[in-house]
Amino acid sequence: MKSLIFLFQSLVILCFLMFSLSSSFGAESTYPFGLLMVGPANDHGWSQAHFEAGQEMEKVLPGTKMIYIDKVNPADRPGITVPMLVDDLVSKGAKLIIGNSDDMKDGMREAAMTHPDIKFIHISGDDVVTGKAGVNLSNLMGRMEYGKMMAGFTAAMSSKTGKIGYLGPLINAETRRLTAAAYLGARYAWTKIRKKDAADLKFKVSWIGFWFNIPGVTSDPTLVTNSFINSGYDVIISGIDTTEALVVAGQKRKEGKNVWAIPYDYVGACTTAPKACLGVPYFNWIPGYTQMIGNAMSGKWKQEFLWLDPDWKSINNMKTSSVGFKAGDSLGEKVKEGLADFQASLADGSLNLFTGPLNFQDGTVFLKDKITATDDQIWNLPQLLEGMEGASK
Amino acid sequence: MSIILQMRRIVMISVLALSAVSLLLMLLGISPLTIGITLAKGSIFSWLKFNHVLSVWIPLLLCSCGLLFTFRAGLWNIGVEGQVICGAIGATLVLRLDNTGLPPAALLSLALFSSFLAGGLWGASAGLLKTRGGVNEIFGGLGLNFVAQGAVLWLILGPWKRAGMASMSGTDLFPRELWMWVPQGWRVAPAAIVLVIIIFLLTSLILNASQFGLKIKAAGFNPQASRLFGIRPNLICFMAMIIGGGLAGLAGGVQVSCVYHRLIPSISSGYGYLALLVVMLAGYKVAPVPIICLLFACLAAGSIQLPITLQVDSSLSGVIQGALVLSGLLVYGLQQGKRRGH
Amino acid sequence: MIELADISKNFGKVQALHKVSLKVHNSSIHGIIGENGAGKSTLMKILTGFISKSGGDFFFHSESIDLHSPKDARKIGIGMLYQEPLDFPQLSVLDNFMVGTADFSPVNQRAALSRLCTNFGFNLNPESKVEELTVGERQQLELMRLIRDGAKILILDEPTSGISEKQQELLFGALRRLRNDGVAILLVSHKLEEIELLCDEVTVLRHGKMAGYQKRPFDREEMLHTMFDTLPVSQPPAVKHIAGDPLLNFHKVTSHVGRSGLNSVSTTIRSGEVVGLAGVDGSGQSVFLRSAFGLLQPESGRISGCREVTTRAFIPADRLTEGLIPGLTIREHHILSKKSGPIITSKSGLEKTRDAIKTYSIRGTSETEVENLSGGNLQRLLLSLIPADIQLILMESPTRGLDVQSAAWTWKHLHARLKAEGAIIFASPDFEEIMEQSTRILVFYNGSITLDTPTKATNYQQLSRAVTGEDNQQQ
Repeated sequence: MKSLIFLFQSLVILCFLMFSLSSSFGAESTYPFGLLMVGPANDHGWSQAHFEAGQEMEKVLPGTKMIYIDKVNPADRPGITVPMLVDDLVSKGAKLIIGNSDDMKDGMREAAMTHPDIKFIHISGDDVVTGKAGVNLSNLMGRMEYGKMMAGFTAAMSSKTGKIGYLGPLINAETRRLTAAAYLGARYAWTKIRKKDAADLKFKVSWIGFWFNIPGVTSDPTLVTNSFINSGYDVIISGIDTTEALVVAGQKRKEGKNVWAIPYDYVGACTTAPKACLGVPYFNWIPGYTQMIGNAMSGKWKQEFLWLDPDWKSINNMKTSSVGFKAGDSLGEKVKEGLADFQASLADGSLNLFTGPLNFQDGTVFLKDKITATDDQIWNLPQLLEGMEGASK
Repeated sequence: MSIILQMRRIVMISVLALSAVSLLLMLLGISPLTIGITLAKGSIFSWLKFNHVLSVWIPLLLCSCGLLFTFRAGLWNIGVEGQVICGAIGATLVLRLDNTGLPPAALLSLALFSSFLAGGLWGASAGLLKTRGGVNEIFGGLGLNFVAQGAVLWLILGPWKRAGMASMSGTDLFPRELWMWVPQGWRVAPAAIVLVIIIFLLTSLILNASQFGLKIKAAGFNPQASRLFGIRPNLICFMAMIIGGGLAGLAGGVQVSCVYHRLIPSISSGYGYLALLVVMLAGYKVAPVPIICLLFACLAAGSIQLPITLQVDSSLSGVIQGALVLSGLLVYGLQQGKRRGH
Repeated sequence: MIELADISKNFGKVQALHKVSLKVHNSSIHGIIGENGAGKSTLMKILTGFISKSGGDFFFHSESIDLHSPKDARKIGIGMLYQEPLDFPQLSVLDNFMVGTADFSPVNQRAALSRLCTNFGFNLNPESKVEELTVGERQQLELMRLIRDGAKILILDEPTSGISEKQQELLFGALRRLRNDGVAILLVSHKLEEIELLCDEVTVLRHGKMAGYQKRPFDREEMLHTMFDTLPVSQPPAVKHIAGDPLLNFHKVTSHVGRSGLNSVSTTIRSGEVVGLAGVDGSGQSVFLRSAFGLLQPESGRISGCREVTTRAFIPADRLTEGLIPGLTIREHHILSKKSGPIITSKSGLEKTRDAIKTYSIRGTSETEVENLSGGNLQRLLLSLIPADIQLILMESPTRGLDVQSAAWTWKHLHARLKAEGAIIFASPDFEEIMEQSTRILVFYNGSITLDTPTKATNYQQLSRAVTGEDNQQQ
């Protein structure tokens, strides 16, 4: 009986403490916004790029405060859905929600419908273009084609074997677009700079099935990279959110193999294995976030589909350029010079790699001679291109 | 057992689990109090959040009801996960049908029925492996889990993939009219709540107050002697596996038609394993199961607050669940040891 | 070589061994013979160090020693060949042979194994899996392992049960050889024939005491006489019903379950009979009963109820683990035993349970869980669970663990409920019970029925000869 009384006493004290504490919760900020990240906030890739941009917002746009949650995917958080998390963030005061993954497309759309007063930014989606989105949902993406072209260019300039492996995530229009861009960059370097036969360039894509490794569900990116290297591919371009390709390349270099990798997404990605890193094409979400959140804060929100260019004057300017390419330490001087020329001709428009004649993988015509692709054709690329190996859908 | 003894047991379990978890948290330098408050605020302090709790509670309770049947029959049905997945596949199969001409409500009911059948079939396979093949249900169940997981991956990347895509993220969303009806301001389908309550009452009736339930118990406690009473223990085990699998399958059907509205690789959300813990903590009794399910659902739904407000990894709620179950088993063990000692 | 002087053993109030003295000499085979419960296994357990004696002394080469643990016993070279081989069925013969040796070289051990095989004339393939071997071959392997480990005193427990004649000859050859090599052998058996063939001396145990000792040449009659009690001439029960129509027919039923299985057993049970099954434990009685109830399917042969036997009941010897369901209450058992509706209310079966508790004087309430009942109450509960319309009642050790009063009550009840169209078949290790309660006796020996007689036409001597395999003429 004594123990029971003790228990009740502690319960009463507990409740008391709880209420006193709960009133002290919740520091004031005028514009809290939520960030839902598909992967861990420290993945050295896609999610970290978003996370750091979100942190930066608190400085760039005074009054904003980021509430975030990472690992938003059914494998890491079973039973938790995007609309549920949006409910949570909204109840914490979030006025705008960013969903950073293609995988959240349906959830974001649903959440936007149930919360018409809240603004939503869905990264990499196109619901605005297809007309499926409500007015409170916008899309944001960077023109990573350019970054991927630079990655392909660097890869083909550096490769000794002429075999480039592309570690692909899942297959959709976005990933086809980016993989094709990397191939075009590589083919340009191979045929125009190194003056070799296009037929001698091998460019193979292996898809793992998701944006990052889910044990037992996706293929293991570490194994895929290993098998690339073991079959003579000496540059691996990563298209997934995490850095396995670079990690494996770093290990193989230590074993004496002359291989490199090009990671993706995050400006600091090369730090995992600097010696094996040729460079990284990365997203900088600060300009996009600033524009969209700034507008929403000042009441000037309008539904938008933003597909932001690099700042060609200075592609690595973190204030202005949405897409950048950071050359790695192991990049040779000659390649660096070639890359600078390449970037210059992309910048002044004298070079557009999405120009005919280009065929699809199945041999049908994509672009006739001298014809350049429209934005819509690039965004919705239906197939890989002729000369690329790997599944198109 | 007297109510006082039960109360004492509950108090002992909670005190034990609480102190273990608190100790762990303090060692990690986190205040147990803030964790408790965060979890509570994230689960029951608002209607919306309670809705989220319910959306975990429903499939978890369904799986637990299924497990009550198999545990009563003396079986360790580890294959719940696979049965949930199969149920999800069964429901998706129906919901993807074109041009049935059936009204959405009929199609949804058909989908749930199909999920029960598919899960039951999977349970029956484990049962057949045991009664005919002599494969222990633990190994059979584990094996079938892998088969089911493989099947769902194959379907998502193969026949049921989205147009122009190959992604592990899941199949296409079902059309809106095939989402189970959810009232304004709710996040969980009332129909699912009604369904799960009916299922629980039926489970309780069958297990505690029916000839069939008594037969399951007899076959589970002593299969050899049950044959002297005209019971065929193999048949009873088989039927328990079918019912258990069917209810787990129904959980999969609910996941598909009420929560995700599509088929995803991790459609089971680990509820199969979680339900094992629930039933173990309940001491294999029927009555405490919905309450423990609710507690676990609160922990699961509330845990999402940990990374949001405290930047603490949400797997902490798993630690709390584990501590609860371990304390529960310890208390049962101690009490039983005491009884045997006297 | 080893001498037991006045060895006693108590389990609580029960005296299992009382001042047993015997000597086992080098180069000699010493037989120990006695019926069930004579104290043979207690003696063996003491010798192998598994249990400790309550009184008396051991002498090893005339030196007083203690056997506190199996390790002590092994140290002085005592090796035991158990009825159930202690091996690892999934491993190969060689692997099993190597278990327990310090020299873990497969080459040496293979050589040692093949040397021993040649010595004894055994034919074992070192690579075969042990689970594929026969019991006799597993025994051979075990024997060689004991010899390899340097056993100087070998104890064998009923070594010939369940092995073929050929293997028996091989085994006996090996044992004689070992004897000639100086090993002391203690052979525990209930088969007089074996003792005659193999032993140099024999000690007879009865009720935990020394009942006799003989050297070669043996006097069989004397041996039989000392093995079994002389009972007062008992009266078989009045034959209440004249044996009527056939109820149950066994036709050449063969089974390999249990130690001896059933070996082409044919018999017919008629209505009105009370049939007692006699024999040493594991000679086939329990397989017979389980086959009759339908728990075991025979491997060949046919069991048929000649007239429609719609219902039969079986009460096994181990009441709590085989006959009842621990965890369920008395009432729940009654609900199960009676066909009733699908829904159970708080009243279901209550009246019947209360009746049963009263009529059978079971100490408990309808909600008592059966594991809380004592032996007599369990037996009365089992009897109360037999529906009234049951014709054929099968029982194993119906009065085991019951005091005299309960036993008498049980039999009174059984005889009272026997109907003209029904029958009772029971197995019992107790001759007295069989002689007093049955109208017909079947004696089992090694899986066969060796004697089938009306109780009136037989006597105690004939029974004891039959269970020890002395009277092997088929009826």
